[in-house]
Amino acid sequence: MNGNTHNSTDGGQGSATLAERWYVPVEIRALRVWLPFAALVNLLILAGEALRGNGAEQLGVLGAIVLLLILRASLPDGRQRWRRYAGQGLAAAILVLGLLSLLRRDATFYDLWATSWLFAPSALALYWMSAGLSGSWCAGAQDAGAAELGLARNRTLAPRFEAFALHTFLIHAVALVVAPVIWIVDVSISPGNILGGAIFDAFTLEHFRAVLGGEAFWLWTRNSLVVALGTTLVGLLLAIPAGYAFSRYQFAGRKGAMFVFMLIQMFPGIIILVPYFMVMKTLGLLNTSLGLIVAYSVTALPLCVWMLKGFFDAVPRALEEAALLDGCNRVEVFFFVVLPLSLPAVAITALFSFLTAWNEFLLALVFNTSNDAYTLPVGLASMIPATGQLWGDFAAASIVVSIPVVILFVLFQQSLIQGMSSGAVKG
Amino acid sequence: MTPHRPDAGLTAWICAALLLCAAGAGVPHAKAQQVSVDDAAQAYRQIRIEVDYAPAETIAGFEIWYAGQAFESTGEAELHSTIRVADTSALARGPEDVLFDRCWSDGLPIHRDAAGSPVADPDASNWSCALSGMTPGAEQWIAVVPVGADGAPLVDTESLQPVVGRTEVPDERTPPPDTRPVLYALSLVVLSTVALLLFLRRQDARQGRSKSRLAHVYVAPALIALATLTFYPILYGIWLAFTNADQSRLGDEAWIGLANFATVFAGPGVWRVTLFTFVWAVSNVLAHVALGLALAVALDRRGLRGRMVYRTILLLPWAIPGYISVLAWNGMLQPDGLVNGLLGTAIDFFDGAGSARTVVILVNIWLGAPFMMMVFSGALQALPSSMYEVAEIDGVSRWNQFRHLTLPNLKGTLVPVSLLGFIWTFNSFNTIYLLTRGNPYSGFGEPGATDTLITHVFAVAFEYGQYGVAAAWSVLIFLVLIGFSWAYLKRTRAMEAVA
Repeated sequence: MNGNTHNSTDGGQGSATLAERWYVPVEIRALRVWLPFAALVNLLILAGEALRGNGAEQLGVLGAIVLLLILRASLPDGRQRWRRYAGQGLAAAILVLGLLSLLRRDATFYDLWATSWLFAPSALALYWMSAGLSGSWCAGAQDAGAAELGLARNRTLAPRFEAFALHTFLIHAVALVVAPVIWIVDVSISPGNILGGAIFDAFTLEHFRAVLGGEAFWLWTRNSLVVALGTTLVGLLLAIPAGYAFSRYQFAGRKGAMFVFMLIQMFPGIIILVPYFMVMKTLGLLNTSLGLIVAYSVTALPLCVWMLKGFFDAVPRALEEAALLDGCNRVEVFFFVVLPLSLPAVAITALFSFLTAWNEFLLALVFNTSNDAYTLPVGLASMIPATGQLWGDFAAASIVVSIPVVILFVLFQQSLIQGMSSGAVKG
Repeated sequence: MTPHRPDAGLTAWICAALLLCAAGAGVPHAKAQQVSVDDAAQAYRQIRIEVDYAPAETIAGFEIWYAGQAFESTGEAELHSTIRVADTSALARGPEDVLFDRCWSDGLPIHRDAAGSPVADPDASNWSCALSGMTPGAEQWIAVVPVGADGAPLVDTESLQPVVGRTEVPDERTPPPDTRPVLYALSLVVLSTVALLLFLRRQDARQGRSKSRLAHVYVAPALIALATLTFYPILYGIWLAFTNADQSRLGDEAWIGLANFATVFAGPGVWRVTLFTFVWAVSNVLAHVALGLALAVALDRRGLRGRMVYRTILLLPWAIPGYISVLAWNGMLQPDGLVNGLLGTAIDFFDGAGSARTVVILVNIWLGAPFMMMVFSGALQALPSSMYEVAEIDGVSRWNQFRHLTLPNLKGTLVPVSLLGFIWTFNSFNTIYLLTRGNPYSGFGEPGATDTLITHVFAVAFEYGQYGVAAAWSVLIFLVLIGFSWAYLKRTRAMEAVA
C-alpha cells in the first residue's frame, strides 16, 4: 500500500524497476498477516489441548506454532530462490502435522475446526508459493511487465482477501453467539434433561407441554406482567413531569437535582438491598407485586428522567410559545403540544422501563420467597437448583419468554442503546 | 434463607449419630458405635445427638447423614456435616455461638481448625452436636458414618440404621413488626423533601423567575419517590452498618459502633475478594471494549455483504434476557454439557478456583461485548466517510487508518463508555450468582473463589443473615463507587450538560 508514496520519493528510477521492486503478490501479503494470526489461534488451541491433558497433541500443536512463525519469517521475497523451497518445505511439514493429528483419533467437530487452522494456512501457502502468478514471483522468475500487471491485480484482489478475512472473523463471532441459542433449542426438544450429545438428534414436545400446561409458568408470567406494567405506569407518571421540568425550566436546585439523578443510577442495587428488604418486611410488602413495582419504578426513575429530558429537549420551543400566545396555559401546552410530539420517545422510555422490570433478577429474588410470588426470572432460575435440575423445562420456558423480548430489543435497538448510554455518549 | 450455601460440597460442620463400626476391611470393633438423640435438649429447628464410639486409629472422621424419611443408603439421604478426627492439642476450642455446626466434646465446645471446621481428638470416645435446619414437628432420620483416612466409609453405607429424632419447638409466629418507626421516618423524609422544594421555590420567587412557578411541582413526585426509596434506604443502611441487625432481629437492632467494620476487615478473604472484583471489572471492560470495537469496525466496512444479518445475530447476547443466557452457559459448561462434548472431555469448569474465575469472566465477556459493539457502531457511523476516502487515496494502510483516524475520533465515546462499563460490571450480580454462586466454597462466612464484593454482600445478608455486617460492606462499596462515579461524571462533562 505504500507504493505511491515511495514512487514520488524515488523519482529518479524507471517505473518498471520500481514496480518490480515494490510488487509483492497479494497472496504473500496475506500470508504475512495470516500466519502470525494462525499461530495465535493455535496457541489458544494449545490451551485447549492442555485442558484435555493430551500430551502428544500439545507437542504437535507447539511444533506447528513454531513452524508457522518460521515460515512467516522466511516468506519468499521474490529474489532469493531458496526462500521459496524453504517455504514449501515448511508448509508441507505443517500440513503433515495437521494430517497426523487428525488421523490419530476420531475427529470431533472441534478437532476439525482446530486442525483447519493448520490445514488452511499451510495448504494455501504451499499452493500460492508453487503455482500461478505468485508462484513464479516466489521463484524470482518475473520481469517488470509482469510486476506491473501484478500491481493492478493486487488492487482488485486485495479487497476480496480483506472481505474474506472479515467474514471469517464475523462467522466465528456468530458461531460463539448462536451456540447457546442452538443449545437451548436442542435441550428444549430433547427428551429428558440431557445437556450434551448430538444436536437435533431427537424430538419431543414434552418440555413445552410440561411448561405451558403447568400452572407455575402462567402464574410467574402474570406476576411479571403485573410488575412490569405497574412499573412502567408508575415510572412514567413520575418521570414525565420531572423530565419536562428539567428540559424547560430554570429553577433553584435544578442543577443539584439533575446531578443526584445521574449519580444515583451508578449505584448497585445491593447497597440499598438490605435496608429495602427490612423496610419491605416491616411494611409487609414482601411477596407482593406492589413491593416490586415500588422498588423498580424508583430504581429505573433516574435513567427514565434523563432519557425523557433528552427527548423533550428535541421538541422545538417555538411550538409551545405559539400555543401560549394562542391562549393555552402551561398545562394545556404540555398535554396538547409537547406530549403528542414526544409520544414516540415516551413509548421508548416506557418500553425501556418495561423491559428492565421484566428482566430484573436480584430484587425479585430477595423480595419473593414464595413460589407463588416469583416473577419469570426467579421462577426460571428456580428450575435449576443444586439438585434435580429440570434443564429441558427450563429451556422450553426460556424460549417462550425470550422470543417476544428479543424481537422488541432487535426492533428498537437504536433507541434503547441510545437511552441506556444516555449521559455516557451524549454527555 | 437456609444457612447452607446449597451447592457447596461442604465439609464444614459436625455432629454425631452412630452405627456399628464394623470396619469394611474386616477389623471388627468390640464396642458398637452408639448414637442417641437428646430429647431434653429441645431447640428451634435443632436436634441434638450424642455419639459414643470406640476410638480407633482407622477412624479419620465422621459424616452425619439425614433425611426426612427412613433410609438405609447414603444415596437416599443428605450429608449434614462432617467432623474430622485429628490431634487437637494445637487447636483451640471454638466459640459456642457458631450458627450451624454447634458441637461439643467433653461438655465443652469442640476444637476447631484454622478453617473453622470441627475436629475431634483421636482419644475421645464421644461427642455431640446440635443438627440445625430440622423441620419442626417432623421426624428426621439421622445416621453417622465413620470414614477412613482415604475418605472411604468404614461401614456398609447400603444398610445403615438411622436413629429417629424430632424437635417439637414450633415455628414461631413472629408478632407483626411495629411499622410505626418506618412510617414516621418515611413521613419525615417526605416532609423534609417538600420543605426543601418550598424553600427553593421561595428562592425562585425572590429572584423573580416567575416562569418556573410550576417547575418544582413537576419535579416533586419524582424527588419525593427518590427520597423515600433511595435516600432513606441509604441512610437507614448506614445506620444498620453500626448495629447488630441480623435475621432474628427486626426493628430492635442496637448500636454496636464499629464492630461490623471490624468484622469486615478482620474476616478472611477481604482483600482477595476486593482484588478479584477489580480483576473481574477491568478484564471484562477491556475485553468488552476491544471486542466491541473490533466487531463494530468489521461491520462498518463499506460494501460488507450480510451486514444486517450479522448485526442482528451479534446483538442476541444483549437482547436475550441475561439470566437466561447465563443459565444456558451454566448448562453448557457442566461436565456432561455441550462444551465438554465438543472438546471430547469431562472437565468440571466450576471446580477449581482458577478455571471457575476464568469461566465467569468469559461468560460475562460474551454477555457484554454486543452492547459495546452497538455503541461504537453508532459512533463510527457519525464519522465522515470522506475522511477514509482521502486516506485511501493517500495509501494509508487499514491499520494506520484505524490507529490514526478511527481511534482518536472515537475517544470521546471510548472513555466515558469504558468508565460506565466499569461501573456496570463492578455492580453486576447475575452472571456470578447464576453460574457459581461465588463457589468454589472457601469456608463459612468467607467469600468464595468467584465472589465479587456485590455477590459476597448478598451472601452475607441473605444466606448468612448478617444484615449489620452486610450493611457495613455496602457502606464501603458505596464509598468506593462514589469515587468512580465522580471520576465518570467529570470525564463525561455531564456537569456541563446540566448547567
